[in-house]
Amino acid sequence: MLTDDPGPSDMHGSDHDDHDAGRRYLDEVRRDIDDEVRRRRASGDLPPDVERELDQLFLAHSPLGGRGAALRDMLRLVDASVFIDPVVPVESRRPGGTTVKRGLRSLSLWYLRYVTHQVSEFATAVSRALHVLDAQVTDIRRKVDALAVPPSAVVDVGWAHNPDAWWVETVTSTLASGGGRALHAACGDGWLVGALVARGVDAYGVDPRSQVPRPGLEVLDLRVEDVGPHLGAVASGALHGVVLSGVVEGSGFVERRNLLQGAARCLAPHGVLFVHSLTPASWAADDAPVEADMAATRPYRARTWLRVLSDLGIDATVSEGTDGRDYLVTGRLRGAP
Amino acid sequence: MKVAFVTPRYGVEVMGGAESAARQLAEHLVAECGWQVEVFTTCALDHITWDDVLSPGDSVLNGVTVHRFASASGRVPEFYELDGRLRMAPSEATLEESRRWLELNGPVTPDLVAAVRDGDAEVIAFYPYLYYPTVMGMEASTAPRVLHPAAHDEPALYLKVFDATFADADAICYHTAAERRLVQRRHRVAQVPQIELGLGVSPVVEGGRSGGEILGIGDRPYVVSVGRVDEHKGSSMLAAFFRTYKKRHPGPLALALVGPRAVSIPDDEDIVVTGAVSEADKCDIVRDAMISISPSALESFSLVVLEAWEQSVPVVVNAMCDPTREHCERSGGGLWFGSYREFEAVLERLDADAGLRALLGAQGHAYVQRYYQWPQLIRRYATFLTTVRRRYESACA
Repeated sequence: MLTDDPGPSDMHGSDHDDHDAGRRYLDEVRRDIDDEVRRRRASGDLPPDVERELDQLFLAHSPLGGRGAALRDMLRLVDASVFIDPVVPVESRRPGGTTVKRGLRSLSLWYLRYVTHQVSEFATAVSRALHVLDAQVTDIRRKVDALAVPPSAVVDVGWAHNPDAWWVETVTSTLASGGGRALHAACGDGWLVGALVARGVDAYGVDPRSQVPRPGLEVLDLRVEDVGPHLGAVASGALHGVVLSGVVEGSGFVERRNLLQGAARCLAPHGVLFVHSLTPASWAADDAPVEADMAATRPYRARTWLRVLSDLGIDATVSEGTDGRDYLVTGRLRGAP
Repeated sequence: MKVAFVTPRYGVEVMGGAESAARQLAEHLVAECGWQVEVFTTCALDHITWDDVLSPGDSVLNGVTVHRFASASGRVPEFYELDGRLRMAPSEATLEESRRWLELNGPVTPDLVAAVRDGDAEVIAFYPYLYYPTVMGMEASTAPRVLHPAAHDEPALYLKVFDATFADADAICYHTAAERRLVQRRHRVAQVPQIELGLGVSPVVEGGRSGGEILGIGDRPYVVSVGRVDEHKGSSMLAAFFRTYKKRHPGPLALALVGPRAVSIPDDEDIVVTGAVSEADKCDIVRDAMISISPSALESFSLVVLEAWEQSVPVVVNAMCDPTREHCERSGGGLWFGSYREFEAVLERLDADAGLRALLGAQGHAYVQRYYQWPQLIRRYATFLTTVRRRYESACA
């Protein structure tokens, strides 16, 4: 395999110490800037109407869903707009226009004042409600962030994840005999994708680890992406095969269920799902990968998969490795009724 | 290999944007890979009116065969009413409404679509997703179709008329990972073969003059913003921010807005608006700038950010623009602002800290050298197109 950098997605390799030092320094700079912004905002050194006007200019052409968008910033704009001014401008380019407009404004001011007062009251109430909502959402987010479990690490074991491993021939020959696109996750450096492509399979791979060396040229379609979100962005029924290896062992119940549901949704009728996993015994052994200690759970026993996949409409069989350290689940999605 | 590009505008007169990117890819495929490349395009230069100003017919530009077709209609006045209505809730618009939006937006080019259908290219690249030639050309094409969306988070992305455009692509070429994430939030196309490519940076053209001399500001330090001076590009916002900054931080610092004017900026002794300048003048101005600022929130790549880094000039970008912010985060070559307050704090810090400016410039430069040099980039693109063609052939076999 070539090891050039295919694109900037994998910038953060472990061999970039200087870059990491620069990044840490820039993080400090960003924090300093954020602190300074907070301090000045609290000091009120910029007239509020000027700040609002500038913020409105900034947001006028900003995308709604941008990463930088914060509810609190939007609320500053809402606050700036809650007062509806009943005294409409009367400037005019036409001769006498200003006089006419001023007259109309005088005649209608009692009415406009009545209406705008009610609209302003309503807007103020909405703004207050949104501030309460913002405070509550911020509080909930803080609590959820503290409880959130990060995606489980990919388990990489050399003896099981290589083209000569006992289970690979089953996967490549099964997928080569069917047609259609196949996904391998976690694909690592593309060792299985390469083997599948060599057998004529239209295969690609995703792996959340950015530091894994990947081929320099796009001979293989390999991407740095989290597996769950990737499956969520695949069209329903678009894949003939999904191979999961190194991704289910350490995942928690919810993450594992989401992965499997996502995989099942992506499969075409009669599509094949392969799950390669270490056994619980292997997970508990002295030579288990370090992810075993860091994971909140252990791998399923082989037969558990039959039940789990059946519930997803997948008929499965299990093959176990000769030394009891790993197994391969082969599931086929039932066809449409 | 014979490759066709379908793009609504094409030519040296078309500055920046997706169409300019298409031309760069086409010309580099010819120059560096020796491939046969043709382009199907309109006679328009203006992306608002789509008026036919160039002659229809065939010509050759830098080794690329260009087929130009007159438009049956450009953008028509009814477009604005419909656009205003649909952009309130674009995903709620019906397919018929969004198809009507596409036609009113122009350029409507049935002859171009027919020529694409009847062409003999082995791969066809469509650039960008937003216009009739791409949507209808992809429907008509029988060769494998590579979509270059050049998408940003705009209401049109959510219109149903583009669902099939994304779903039917045989491959997708993204400018950045941020663009891929955006598209995949809207369209389930993650299984489609794809590449994150971007664009290469051309060698710097030295003009031999100082930036201050070109701008007429002598030795005053300045920050620069390169690109069309346009409301939508954030130019007015940047000018207003800078004026406020200068009121609060009196001194010699100036702002140079370098690019064709699409909006008028009020006169100010601290702001220079150059209009269109030569490539050499642009490079000289950027080289001597203290900082290059990209105020636009709607970029899908932003070559000007990379061009600043090519000259080791640090950049400041709009925090709401995912692709440019992603460049900064990945390279460590720039900072970003999400409000006037942040703009002020960032500019103040950079103005006072030459060491920080040098670090940002150096990291940005390294990023460009590593990922955005044409020889490597075009080799990746050519390999990608070859695999797309092979995949198509094996599917047909």
